[in-house]
Amino acid sequence: MPVESNDVLQGTLDMLVLKALSLQPMHGWGVAQRIQQISSNVLQVNQGSLYPALHRLEDRGWIEAEWGTSENNRKAKFYRLTRAGERQLGTEAATWRRFATAIDAVMSTT
Amino acid sequence: MNLLRRLRRRLRALAFRREVERELADELQLHIELEQEKNERLGMSPDEARRAALVTFGGVERYKEEARDARGVRLLETVAQDLRYALRTMRKTPAFTATVILTLGLGVGATSAIFSIVNAVLLRPLPYGNEQSLVRLYSQVPDGTIDRFSVSIPDYLDYKTRNRVFSDMAMWLNSTMTLGDGGEPQRLAAVFASDNLFSLMGVTPLHGRLLQPGDSDHPDVVVLSHGVFARRFGSDSAIVGRRITLDGSAKTVIGVLPPNFRLYTRDVDVWAPVVIQQVPKYTQRGNHILRVIARLRPGVTVTEAQRDVRRVAANLAAEYARDDQGWSANIFSVRNEIVGDLTRPLMILLTASALVLLIACINVANLQLTRSAGRGRELAVRRALGAERGRLVGQMLIESLTYAAFGGLLGIALGVAGTKALVAAAPGGISRLDEVSLDARVFAFAMGVALLTGILVGLWPAFRDSDPQLGRTLRDGGRGHAGSMHAWRVRGALVVAELSLALTILVGAGLVLQSFRKILDLDLGIRTENAVALRLTIPGRYSDSTITPFFRELQRGLAAVPGITGVSASDRGPAQGSGASTDIRLIERPEANASASLMSQVSVVLPDYFRTMGMKLVSGRDVAWSERQPVAIVNAAAASRFWPGRSALGQHVAFGRRSTDSGMVVIGVVSDVRRGDITLREEPMIYIPVASAPSFGRTMMLVVRGSLGTATTVSAAKRAVHGIDPMLPVYEIRTLEEIVGDTVAQPRLNATLLGAFAALALVLAAVGIYGVIAYSVTQRRQEIGVRVALGAQPGDVFRLVVRQGAALAAAGLAIGLVASWLLTPVLRSWLYEIEPSDPVTFVGVAIVLGAIALLATAIPARRATKVDPVLAMRAE
Repeated sequence: MPVESNDVLQGTLDMLVLKALSLQPMHGWGVAQRIQQISSNVLQVNQGSLYPALHRLEDRGWIEAEWGTSENNRKAKFYRLTRAGERQLGTEAATWRRFATAIDAVMSTT
Repeated sequence: MNLLRRLRRRLRALAFRREVERELADELQLHIELEQEKNERLGMSPDEARRAALVTFGGVERYKEEARDARGVRLLETVAQDLRYALRTMRKTPAFTATVILTLGLGVGATSAIFSIVNAVLLRPLPYGNEQSLVRLYSQVPDGTIDRFSVSIPDYLDYKTRNRVFSDMAMWLNSTMTLGDGGEPQRLAAVFASDNLFSLMGVTPLHGRLLQPGDSDHPDVVVLSHGVFARRFGSDSAIVGRRITLDGSAKTVIGVLPPNFRLYTRDVDVWAPVVIQQVPKYTQRGNHILRVIARLRPGVTVTEAQRDVRRVAANLAAEYARDDQGWSANIFSVRNEIVGDLTRPLMILLTASALVLLIACINVANLQLTRSAGRGRELAVRRALGAERGRLVGQMLIESLTYAAFGGLLGIALGVAGTKALVAAAPGGISRLDEVSLDARVFAFAMGVALLTGILVGLWPAFRDSDPQLGRTLRDGGRGHAGSMHAWRVRGALVVAELSLALTILVGAGLVLQSFRKILDLDLGIRTENAVALRLTIPGRYSDSTITPFFRELQRGLAAVPGITGVSASDRGPAQGSGASTDIRLIERPEANASASLMSQVSVVLPDYFRTMGMKLVSGRDVAWSERQPVAIVNAAAASRFWPGRSALGQHVAFGRRSTDSGMVVIGVVSDVRRGDITLREEPMIYIPVASAPSFGRTMMLVVRGSLGTATTVSAAKRAVHGIDPMLPVYEIRTLEEIVGDTVAQPRLNATLLGAFAALALVLAAVGIYGVIAYSVTQRRQEIGVRVALGAQPGDVFRLVVRQGAALAAAGLAIGLVASWLLTPVLRSWLYEIEPSDPVTFVGVAIVLGAIALLATAIPARRATKVDPVLAMRAE
């Protein structure tokens, strides 16, 4: 039976988070919404993986966090892409494109 | 940079744990709230919206945990948590904690005290540059008896030019000088050294400069030791360049040596350049007066150097047969010379302290086992609830390491105290002992030993107990494996090991203590009580002919003081070890002179010396102030060796193998005394009156006997000396008891240390066996209860428990006796008139240890007889 999965592909979450944050700094929930929104609800970010991912990326120095005030005046932790993060995003995006093209080529073979 | 930032984050996460945790909670909380609002906007009721938000999010705690892992601090946090847990446990069981820490502390303390001495004496480099290539050159005496004899000046100069193995050679002469710059004149130990000595040894000055090549041309310069610099000149570096008065003439101080420098093992106060041409009899090849040190060329070994100097010696012996016939030369490395003799005794002490430490470790392991057995149920439950095994092992290990760390700290504290006591008690003969201090190496050693102990005694029970057979432990009500045969065997084996180690140390200590007592009981041949000795030196301005009248006047004046019962002097201190021997010739037995080994010690004395010292005049008479002919008194050893089977009285003896004079007539024989190593009998000794060799009388040890008390006697003696000449230095003032005490200081130290270690071992072993038996009684309460219920009498129960202890003790003693029998031969050099396998000691010690082990067993056994069967059975 064919199974349709819309969980974010293993290993791509970090890239998606970096991409989302490259558009503008935002808090965790915003990141999840943005990924869902851009992918037209195709990609569901598993909330449980999101925060570990954010902390991991912060630990590696690709994003940095600071406390700010959210839309309706609530304290929120905002994440922002760093220089290193930008470079990392570039690398990951290139890898992904090569990878996707390759998969596509394989899958479209008739 | 990246690494730094990550480290900072991690530290922050650790240090501000609460804050970081709160931030994480806030963040997740916000997420859920925002999700809930979104759901509400989509039209859900607030409750529904919230539930949906929570469902999407999943378990908050799990994410927190994962987010924490992502922070990379989990391991550190776990350790911190375990540490807090361990500290809490320690506080909750103070008696257990105190026992473990004290036990470890004693073991570590004993070991690190000895190690600090090993470190200072054996491990630290000598205060010379590149010490490995420094060697001493000695003459080898023809008869083969003395391999470290001084070198004559002509020989030294020839070795210097003919050798092929040294890059440089230097020499020195020991002497004394009187420092007279106002105040009481002070006697200083002086050395006249070749001007290249310090550069050869690689010493750098503390102030000014040291002797350097060329100084022999202007010999009015001196270098001061740090000791004199501090004592006499208040550590004021302005002394450099000033002039001081030594032996009546002005000398310029050119520099000060660093505090840790010492020449060889001798403490020297002043150093002056030697002018060879001013040394008396410097052209005589038979005049062996120089100490020689040399620097090996790179790549040359001691053996090669030895071969080369032997070659030179053979050439010299051929060229100068009259003086050098039969003589040879020896090379010894300076390091070996200074610390070589000490290696073995220190290793024995280090081993003994390590055995104590091992016993302490076994005790701690046993204690930990006892406790972890009690915790079997706790661990089983935690394991059943899903605690990872590694986590439990880690926790137990950290607990054990915490104990070890505290034990180590206590050990260091005890080690510091012990080292101080040791240095204070140690005899002067141990070189470099004054350099003992607790440096980083000692601390690292003590802490390393303690932590290693912690790992070893912690790891094993940790692994064993972290994986109990869950079902059984829980079913057994937590006794589980603790009461099992296997655990009993392990703990029994530990006690057996402990007892056998303790027995080994006790036997060693027993042997050494008995030797020490025998040494103390030795008849030294002198009476030590109520007598003081003072050294005094007659300066060069006195001619030889005035020396005898000086002493005569001194003796008469001092003997007249009421309460003083004896006054005399000798150039040889009481109990002072052998000096150089002299060739002698027996006039009436020319056939004996063919043997090259006819040598004797010589000492000059004033009349009444033997009576003042408490020696016995076996036959003949004492010397008088004026004799009509050259006379001598010999000791009993000389009488029996030189004139076996006949009376020594009336025989003639002469000094020098080739001399032609008619010698001295023997007028008396005195009893032997013990000198130096007092376990040896005295060598032949010839006493001659000071009048016949006044130059020997320039440095005399005055002995004053009287009932006035030490202080009064000393001041009377000083008054008498200064009454004749106020400028004469009187020094080295000590009672005969102190002098003799010094000669047994080394055996005393050995006996004290081994005795202390043995006492520690005994206590620890007793605690060990007590602990195991007491625990087994607790474990067997129910069984004992049943036995009592079935009619067992208290005596039966008592015997039951004691038998258990007795079996362990018997095994421990048997193994210990065998181990002792194998090990005690290493003590042989410390033993005096007792065999290493002395059966009395072995049996006696075994009985003592066995009795104490049984006593330690009897206490819990008595408790076992009080077990109330009803209570014991209901407790289950």
